[in-house]
Amino acid sequence: MAKSKKKRQHDFQKVKLKVGKTKPKANNATNTNFRTKGIHLTEQLKRDESGLTTHRKLSIQDLLSQLHHYSGSVKQSALVGLKELLTLHPSQLEEHLSRLLSEVAAVFTDKDANVRLAATRLLRFISQCVPADRAAPFFPLLSAHLSCAMTHIEAGIQEDAMKVLDVLLEHYPALLAARPALLLTNFLELISHRRSGGGARKGQEAKGSSWSLSVNPNRALTGQQWRLTVLLRLGRFLQAVVEERPVEEGNAPGPTEGLFGASGEGGLTPLDLNWEELTYSKAGVQVYENSGAKPAPHSTFKLRPEVDPGTGVGEELGSPEAVQSFAATLVPLLLEVWVEASTNDSPWGASDNSHLLTQDTMTLMYQVLTILQLLRRLAPQKEHQDTLDAWFRNEYLGHFKQHFMKNFPYGAQDAPRFKRKVDLKRSKQLPVIPGATVEPLALNVMLCQVMVSLSQRQGHDQEPDADWLMPLRAFVKETLSSGAKLSNRYLHTLLDTVWKMVLTQKSRAVTEDLLLAVNVYYQQRNLNLQTRTLLLSFYSRLYLQEQGHAHIARSKMLGRWLAALPVQLAQLGHRNPALSSHLLLAMQAAASRGNKDLLNSLQANACRLYDPQEGSVVLLPADSQQRLVQLLYFLPAMSQALLANLSRCCTAGRISAGLAASLIRIIHLRSSLSGWAAGTQEVALHDVDYISFLFSTLTGFSSDELATLQEAGDDSVLPPSPLSPLSLYPTPLEQFTHHWDVVEEVCHCLESLGSRSQCFDILQNGVCNYLSSLVVVPDSMAAGLLRAVARLLDLSFLPSETLLRFLSHCCLSLLSLLGTLQQDAPSDTNHKREAIWGACVSALSSVPRLLRLVLQSLHVGDLCEEELPQLGQILSMLLQHAALRNHLLPNSTLLQHVIQDLTRYCRGETREQWLTDLLYCYSVTMASHRGNVALRDIY
Amino acid sequence: MSAPMEIILSTDSGAQLWNCAVFELHSGTNLLSYRGGNTSARSLTVLNGEYILGAQLGKNFINVWEIQRKDQLQQKIVCPGIVTCLTASPNGLYLVAGISESIYLWEVSTGNLLAILSRHYQDLTCLRFTDDSSHFVSGGKDNLALIWSLASVVQLDPSHSPEPRHVLSRHSLPITDIHCGLMGPQARVATASLDQTVKLWEISSGELLLSVLFDVGIMSVTLDPCEYYLFCGGSDGGIFQVSLCSQNLGRDKTFQSDSNGNQVFKGHRNLVTCLSVSMDGTLLVSGSQDDTVKLWDIQSKQSIRSINHKGPITNAVIIPAPANMFLPDSRPSIPLPQFSRHLNHADQMEGLETGGMLLRLGPQPQAHEDSYLKKADTLYSLMSAVTDKSVFGEGENTKVRVSELEEEMRTLKRINKDLYDFSTQFLIKPHS
Repeated sequence: MAKSKKKRQHDFQKVKLKVGKTKPKANNATNTNFRTKGIHLTEQLKRDESGLTTHRKLSIQDLLSQLHHYSGSVKQSALVGLKELLTLHPSQLEEHLSRLLSEVAAVFTDKDANVRLAATRLLRFISQCVPADRAAPFFPLLSAHLSCAMTHIEAGIQEDAMKVLDVLLEHYPALLAARPALLLTNFLELISHRRSGGGARKGQEAKGSSWSLSVNPNRALTGQQWRLTVLLRLGRFLQAVVEERPVEEGNAPGPTEGLFGASGEGGLTPLDLNWEELTYSKAGVQVYENSGAKPAPHSTFKLRPEVDPGTGVGEELGSPEAVQSFAATLVPLLLEVWVEASTNDSPWGASDNSHLLTQDTMTLMYQVLTILQLLRRLAPQKEHQDTLDAWFRNEYLGHFKQHFMKNFPYGAQDAPRFKRKVDLKRSKQLPVIPGATVEPLALNVMLCQVMVSLSQRQGHDQEPDADWLMPLRAFVKETLSSGAKLSNRYLHTLLDTVWKMVLTQKSRAVTEDLLLAVNVYYQQRNLNLQTRTLLLSFYSRLYLQEQGHAHIARSKMLGRWLAALPVQLAQLGHRNPALSSHLLLAMQAAASRGNKDLLNSLQANACRLYDPQEGSVVLLPADSQQRLVQLLYFLPAMSQALLANLSRCCTAGRISAGLAASLIRIIHLRSSLSGWAAGTQEVALHDVDYISFLFSTLTGFSSDELATLQEAGDDSVLPPSPLSPLSLYPTPLEQFTHHWDVVEEVCHCLESLGSRSQCFDILQNGVCNYLSSLVVVPDSMAAGLLRAVARLLDLSFLPSETLLRFLSHCCLSLLSLLGTLQQDAPSDTNHKREAIWGACVSALSSVPRLLRLVLQSLHVGDLCEEELPQLGQILSMLLQHAALRNHLLPNSTLLQHVIQDLTRYCRGETREQWLTDLLYCYSVTMASHRGNVALRDIY
Repeated sequence: MSAPMEIILSTDSGAQLWNCAVFELHSGTNLLSYRGGNTSARSLTVLNGEYILGAQLGKNFINVWEIQRKDQLQQKIVCPGIVTCLTASPNGLYLVAGISESIYLWEVSTGNLLAILSRHYQDLTCLRFTDDSSHFVSGGKDNLALIWSLASVVQLDPSHSPEPRHVLSRHSLPITDIHCGLMGPQARVATASLDQTVKLWEISSGELLLSVLFDVGIMSVTLDPCEYYLFCGGSDGGIFQVSLCSQNLGRDKTFQSDSNGNQVFKGHRNLVTCLSVSMDGTLLVSGSQDDTVKLWDIQSKQSIRSINHKGPITNAVIIPAPANMFLPDSRPSIPLPQFSRHLNHADQMEGLETGGMLLRLGPQPQAHEDSYLKKADTLYSLMSAVTDKSVFGEGENTKVRVSELEEEMRTLKRINKDLYDFSTQFLIKPHS
């Protein structure tokens, strides 16, 4: 009972509440610390059947129809919606492109500025997605609407048309440039209006005075700024026209890019083949398929009548006359713009600082000059360029001189502080001028370019241009030699200017002056690679132009530059291979022309360049190495030191065996012994030097190296033994093969020297004097010597005893090395073994008495037990060789003696396999010999 | 014995037996030999089928033989310097010689020196004409090969120095040999160089078509008449054959593993200095510094015959036998004039004094009228356009045009012949 009570108490325990303590929570209390949020359903739940809608569930059809709504905001939201829809579902774009473009283009001329802005954005988006070829069919429509907008009476629409034009220029320059006629007049109308009076008598006054600049006071912008925006677009548009024009000549003068670049590649890509690839490849060459049966488009022959003009580039600018008439309209306008800008800028007419310009003016002037420059390049063909230039000169030189050159080196005006604020504010409302800040340098440089293009070659009846070219020249000189860093583009333009001045002003003093300035710039320390390359190619192109320009050819600066090239190359080392290859190209061109300055400098620096340790010839990549080797051909004389270096280069293995071979061949050609001498070219080296070069290349090791080898410990060389009288130094496999290839080439050169016996005599003397006393011999050298001797030996010549003894030692040592090589790594050393074996066999079979000497030096009695099988192996190898067999027979008594000794010394044990083999080979050889003798007896 | 169709002309620098020898192509019998002096490399040429010219090795004159009088030098043309290469135009009107860095161009009919072209920077090594004599190509030790249009070289006002039509500047070591293909200005030119490459170019555009890199320097190059194969003589004595058209005949492939045509003719022991292919493209002649001229069968790549000489071969060439060569009593149709040594701007006066007439087509008198050479040039270009069109199927009316042009050509030729007859009868007679 008491127990159940206790239980009940437990169930209904009383909770004691105390004052000052928090009340414990009840078990069933509701947790209220959550938050609520409303769910808004802004759209209907109904779905479009296609499922492709914006977030407002509007399909593309709905949006497009909304574009015809009267309300601006609806149109704008429709445009925004379209953009969203197309971002979400790009597939819609392809389906509805035609309708989309026509609707969007229609709102270019909308009254509401926001709608136009949205339309431009949408257009930008579309043009990003649609490639030019797919947009092409809709382009007439687009450009029609664009023209509408550009010529619209409302200023705002005109301004926004510029933005549309920006988009189109960015994405479809080719399409836009294809029909420039209409747009160009639109441009003119934007900044000017046609004089009503002038139109009537256009025939009399063709100087474009029928157009005059217009000012619209209602505009938000000043007249100058508006003109700037228009001119900026016009410049871009002309740029597009010029660039899209089919390129006719690779070397059209004056393109801002690639003038000094590595252009000059034709339209054809030549096949480059290698003889080895040719021999082993299955695919054949298809030269004529490559070039085509028709003459190349770059042909200077005009085999067909010209295709009718006006198909490619538009109707207006297809002919030079059209360009000229357009220029005649535009240039006076530009001049007016210029004049107005410059007078605006210095209204107080103070002459002392009238060359200081504000930022806006400068930009405007820069644009004017850019357009002038582009106008020059509008000439459809290269031959028209000259006539156009002449026309410009005739018409406008006076004006240009008067306006442009008056305050020539322009500078930036220091804008006072308080103005800055205004400017900032203004520039905020002006979104039109992207990247409009123009440095005075840019302006001046551009001015130089424009003016210099007008200068004419002297020598005709024109008055010399020196008077107005003088300030230009001074400016160019000063800019280049001031030591300031120039950006690559300015430098390019400046060099272009220098180039033209040098070519047109045919005076030596001017050339020297300008080149000196360029040289000062060139001498600067840390130019980056691009600049350096630009300068280099400027110089080398100038050098290549020298033909027919005596003032360039005799220029001292150019000569000094050329003379500095080898030094630069040597100093550059391996640090910048790209620059080195540029230097090499220039050097090669000069060397091939026999330029004295370069050749003397090259000769002076040759030892440094061709140093086997750190010369450029071993440090640079393979193609530069090849150029360096080819340069050797042009050296007027090769000193002994240089030849020693070259020989080390050949043998050290840091240039490839093929290159080493061509090096040897080039030296061969330059010696008097080659026999190839068309014309009268003096030989570059003495015969003695040449032969010692060949000999040291043949040995492959310098005397120092050989001397250190003699003293080297036993760990690196194989010790001498009765079987191998010389201790061999095993060269690494790579070095061996390299040396082997070089030896082949040297042998070939020696063979073609002329008298064989004399040649062999020299070789023999060399070997006897320098090599026969050696105790340690590298195996590659031994094999190479055997090979050379076998190839060069003349039957009428009797080799000396010393040579023969040395050779027999080499031969025996190599044969025993062959045995050891066969044991350890058969697969790796395959080539080496074959080479050694081939060398031994050919020497043994061709050199008389060598075999006998080898056999005589086999003293079986001195051999220890382990060497006997080795000897047996050598002998059986010799016996098995068919060519050697005949040479063995005369020495059969010696052979018999050796074999008898062998069998005697092995009598203790059971007969081993090798001995059985040897005896079998021996008996077969003898038997066949006897058989032959018997046969001979029968007949 | 019927007269041989093709002959081998060869010279060697030793010249103990003869200067220039003539061999029958197929039998290798020595038919004739011309004596006196010896001839330097790439300077033996046959002028108009009536004279043989060869530049003396190391001296500054050119030996001239009448082709039928083998023993006697007809003339020695003394030049301003040592002649390193020499060639005559195939139509026999012009003679071009390379003398140190300059190219000298003579007019054969008058002996006037028409032009001295100094565009090379170093000695010339080779000169070749196209088969229609409209262009010639010069190669030098300055790594350049220049293509000259004869018309622009011959006819110019003195103020302009003639410019080559194209400068081929992709070799990196001296040019050793040049071969001009057939087809006039649409031909292809092969140049060989010490830089171990042979390059094939188009004359019309000056574009590089093909470049083959070998293991050795190439001393001589030639193409067969069909331009199927390129033969390159190496400095190690090998002659390399490069197939320019791969005939992918599936049937043969299985039999011959190496039927792609790139193979080597082995046999010479020293530089192969000259190569020439016979008219039918079956035989190849090569001359080498190992004192032999070898005749090869191209199909089987075997040496058929080896003709020993007494010195390094300087020239070996296969030419169709000139008609006069084997007729001892024939005479050349025009006597050779004295070749002048100086540009004849100065002696125009002299010519007037002696009553001679100087027919130089100068641009001065009628500035607006095109000269005949220019007209011929335009006519030629029209003709080429027409053939071009007809070859590539451009419609019917071109045929009409062709016939018109042919008619015009005939009249032009007739006029030309009249002019020539006139000049030979009246202008040259008094001299001889």
